[in-house]
Amino acid sequence: MIVKRRTPQSASGEPIVWVFGLALVASLAAIVVLIGMIVVRASESFWVRPIEQLTLADGSQRLGSVVRREVGEGGVSRTLYQVGNRDLGQGSFTWIADREVEGVSRPAQAVMLERSAWGVWFGLPTRIVRLTEGGAEPLGEGDTFWAEFERQHAEAIERERAIEALDEGELADVNREREAWRLRIADVRRRASESGGPAPLPVWAWGVAVLAACGAGAGAVAVRRVGGARAWRLALAVLAFLAVGFVAIEAPWVRRAPSAAEVAAVQAEAEKALATLDAEAASVEARIKAIEAEDAKYRVEVVDPLTGRFAPESLSSPDVPMRVSQVVRVVRANELSFGEKLRVLGARWWEFLSPEPREANSEGGVFPVIFGTVALTILLSLAVVPLGVVAALYLREYAKQGLMTSVLRVAVNNLAGVPSVVYGVFGLGFFCYAVGGYVDTGPAEPLPRLPWWGLVAAMAVIMAAALTLGAGVVRGPGRRGWGAGLCWSAAVVLLIVVVMKTPYFDGFFATRAAEGSPTFGARGILWASLTLALLTLPVVIVATEEAIAAVPRSMREGSYGCGATKWQTVRRVVIPGALPGIMTGAILAMARGAGEVAPLMLVGAAKHASELPVSTDPPYLHLDRTFMHLGYHIFDLGYMSQDLEATRPLVWTTTLLLIAIVLILNSIAIAVRGRLRGRLVSAAV
Amino acid sequence: MTISTPQRGYRVVDAIRAGEAVAPEVHKAARTDDPVLEVHGFSLWYGKSRALHAVDMAVHRGKVTAIVGPSGCGKSTLLRSVNRLNDLVDGVRTDGDILLNGSPVYGSGVDVITLRKRLGMVFQKPNPFPMSIRDNVVYPLVIDGERRRKVLNEAAERALTAAALWDEVKDRLRESALGLSGGQQQRLCIARAVVADPEVLLLDEPCSALDPVATLRIEELIHQIASRYTVLIVTHNMQQATRVSDFTAFMYLGRLVEYGPTAAVFQSPHLPETEDYVTGRFG
Ligand SMILES: Nc1ncnc2c1ncn2[C@@H]1O[C@H](COP(=O)(O)OP(=O)(O)OP(=O)(O)O)[C@@H](O)[C@H]1O
Ligand SMILES: [Mg+2]
Repeated sequence: MIVKRRTPQSASGEPIVWVFGLALVASLAAIVVLIGMIVVRASESFWVRPIEQLTLADGSQRLGSVVRREVGEGGVSRTLYQVGNRDLGQGSFTWIADREVEGVSRPAQAVMLERSAWGVWFGLPTRIVRLTEGGAEPLGEGDTFWAEFERQHAEAIERERAIEALDEGELADVNREREAWRLRIADVRRRASESGGPAPLPVWAWGVAVLAACGAGAGAVAVRRVGGARAWRLALAVLAFLAVGFVAIEAPWVRRAPSAAEVAAVQAEAEKALATLDAEAASVEARIKAIEAEDAKYRVEVVDPLTGRFAPESLSSPDVPMRVSQVVRVVRANELSFGEKLRVLGARWWEFLSPEPREANSEGGVFPVIFGTVALTILLSLAVVPLGVVAALYLREYAKQGLMTSVLRVAVNNLAGVPSVVYGVFGLGFFCYAVGGYVDTGPAEPLPRLPWWGLVAAMAVIMAAALTLGAGVVRGPGRRGWGAGLCWSAAVVLLIVVVMKTPYFDGFFATRAAEGSPTFGARGILWASLTLALLTLPVVIVATEEAIAAVPRSMREGSYGCGATKWQTVRRVVIPGALPGIMTGAILAMARGAGEVAPLMLVGAAKHASELPVSTDPPYLHLDRTFMHLGYHIFDLGYMSQDLEATRPLVWTTTLLLIAIVLILNSIAIAVRGRLRGRLVSAAV
Repeated sequence: MTISTPQRGYRVVDAIRAGEAVAPEVHKAARTDDPVLEVHGFSLWYGKSRALHAVDMAVHRGKVTAIVGPSGCGKSTLLRSVNRLNDLVDGVRTDGDILLNGSPVYGSGVDVITLRKRLGMVFQKPNPFPMSIRDNVVYPLVIDGERRRKVLNEAAERALTAAALWDEVKDRLRESALGLSGGQQQRLCIARAVVADPEVLLLDEPCSALDPVATLRIEELIHQIASRYTVLIVTHNMQQATRVSDFTAFMYLGRLVEYGPTAAVFQSPHLPETEDYVTGRFG
């Protein structure tokens, strides 16, 4: 008889469950602490802090706001003050020991000036002046100061806007046109001087080629009439096709370099156009100058109590007070109510998000950085998802499962373990220099004419062979001949060689490359996104393979049973069934790609990119441009900055932003997947 | 294999067990001059193991023929041989031939895709595709190149009506087919199988995953469509075989044992083993 024992504690798994729970709590806590710290630090970054006036032991006065306090060596408690006023030759942050401080007050009239250059300025505003021929005419002082300042500041902003509009509108247009003309001259000169590709064929040789082409064409037609063997018809057609191609490419009027007269004509035309453009530019510049001259009249004096000096216009002219237009914002920190402080906080965040960075990224906005990050992520998804899905489809659906596919799978999984900076090195060498260089200037060592045409002919023959061999293939699912596969592989290899070695292509941007400014042959957003696509490819492939394998066999059999071919089954049943899983892969790839920094430093992220990769001038999408990226921006702010204390808050806000963007992109993708799932949801059968 | 000791000796089954070749017992009424399907000495191997042993059988035009037999006797294999679905399994080898309306199914020049389009198949487990109800039904037409919306919609309505599903789904044709109940899904699969007017409808235990009510509906449905199509149905349910079929074939270990009109096979079988099987005393 079997004795029934009480269920022991260990059988119910009680202790283990506790360990599981603890592990979960630990991971959650790590995440919450990380996110929480970023959010807290980022949100206090832009908060208005009060301005304190310190009377030090030696009797001097300083203005500044408290950043943090600490107990240093020897138990001396000290405080880090932001004191600004870098133009006076002091550091903008300074530690002050508490025992040196004799008195602290918060003067109501103290302000913190956020300036368009040289960081912040702490001081006491005294007056606004208008410079005239003879001297300075005061506009506002004492009680009238603030009202006058508001008015003048609004006007100064208007003037700034006007200058900006002229600068980025008319002047930029003119400059673009000038550049286009300059390039046209350089281009025609280059083509006239160097013979692009092999020397033109002698006319008689070309005539022979024309005759041969006609002969081949006639032969092809004749054989078709007579009804010769399929292989013969195909061979003759290929030959005729090649001959026509040769004749067209080698035609004397195609291969001719521009004559001296043509060069001169282009040059004359360009010079005329340039003259008008120069005049236009001069007039726009004069208008800008006029506005600037008006702007230079309005000055504001804000005095530093320590030295008694006002904020200067620039370092080189310390005795001229700053222009009103140099003020970004005046924060009357000690007089602001809570609501007004919130307003300033909002304004600072807005300024952080919207415009371009200033002063080596330590001030201004990060809009181009956000834009670059999002553009990169989108481009990378556009590249990696189709590539990964197609590769996984082949690997799972078409390739014969065996040693080869297992090795491939292991290789793909190992790719995921390669350090990302290695991808950067590869991307720089392969995409930027090899592929980009090819796009710019054509093949570095093109083949001579005859061997190249020989390769083309070989490729055409092999493709024709593959087509004939493959014709019998379409019938049965899963039955493919070795011959056709081999031929296709050979044809693809030949195609790559043919494209790589063509003597007829000398690049799309050869002129600019010759001037030393490559277009695609350098770091840029296109190559960066392709590099990241490679980096994230394993994620997509693995996810897609799993999703495809999860499509039940019964579904495929149902499709075949309806008389579908393998391709129709894959396209209409397998891919839709696997779509949610594929989307998961895409989401993971996006998240990984958006957070990657190391390879970007090599292949295209820039500390400062003056132009977005998308613009309103043709070709609208400038994939050759470098771009700014939040991940790299954080690195730049945190480690490359001149003034670490000043950029520290920006590190937090930028980090918060990066996380938010990844979150938003992921949420969009997850929402899309959710809708797909909703469409495909399976009721219990 | 035996649930009760057989009282009599089984001439055919014992020979099959001994591995001898025996001719199946085919009733006179089961012979036909105008068969839709003719199976001629058809054998099939999965790798080394042989699943069908030289099966000979003629399926009557416009009738419902049921195939019964113990599990693993090769019923599904025979059915899947007709539309060459077994080609998808690695290592399958065949011998002999099957004729579909006189044209060979096996042989070097046969276009398998076209062949499958002439047949409709319904599987044991409903297998709707991950697409809308309408797209599921017209799938065979779409892969055949039909793109005209009007034609497709009409075909979908016709097939769904034939499968007794139209009234239930006519308002949700655009919704995913995976949201239907099991019985509805199976009727959807039947609609999909008949939409392209197949020459033969192959049903492999179409009711095994369904509850009795859904089973009854499908059986009614088979009755209705039997007037238009030739149906070959595999079933484990003897009542179902008597209810829906005109002819019944009894298979055992990859061989045909007895084949005749359903009434004869169930009420006066020629072989004692058949009688014991259909009454549940053997198998
Ligand atoms: N894909 C396969 N590979 C190898 N052997 C198979 C395969 N499919 C079926 N078999 C074998 O072939 C024989 C016949 O199988 P089949 O599925 O035709 O039986 P069945 O009569 O349909 O049985 P059931 O009533 O249980 O569905 C069985 O012995 C089975 O193990
Ligand atoms: Mg079966």
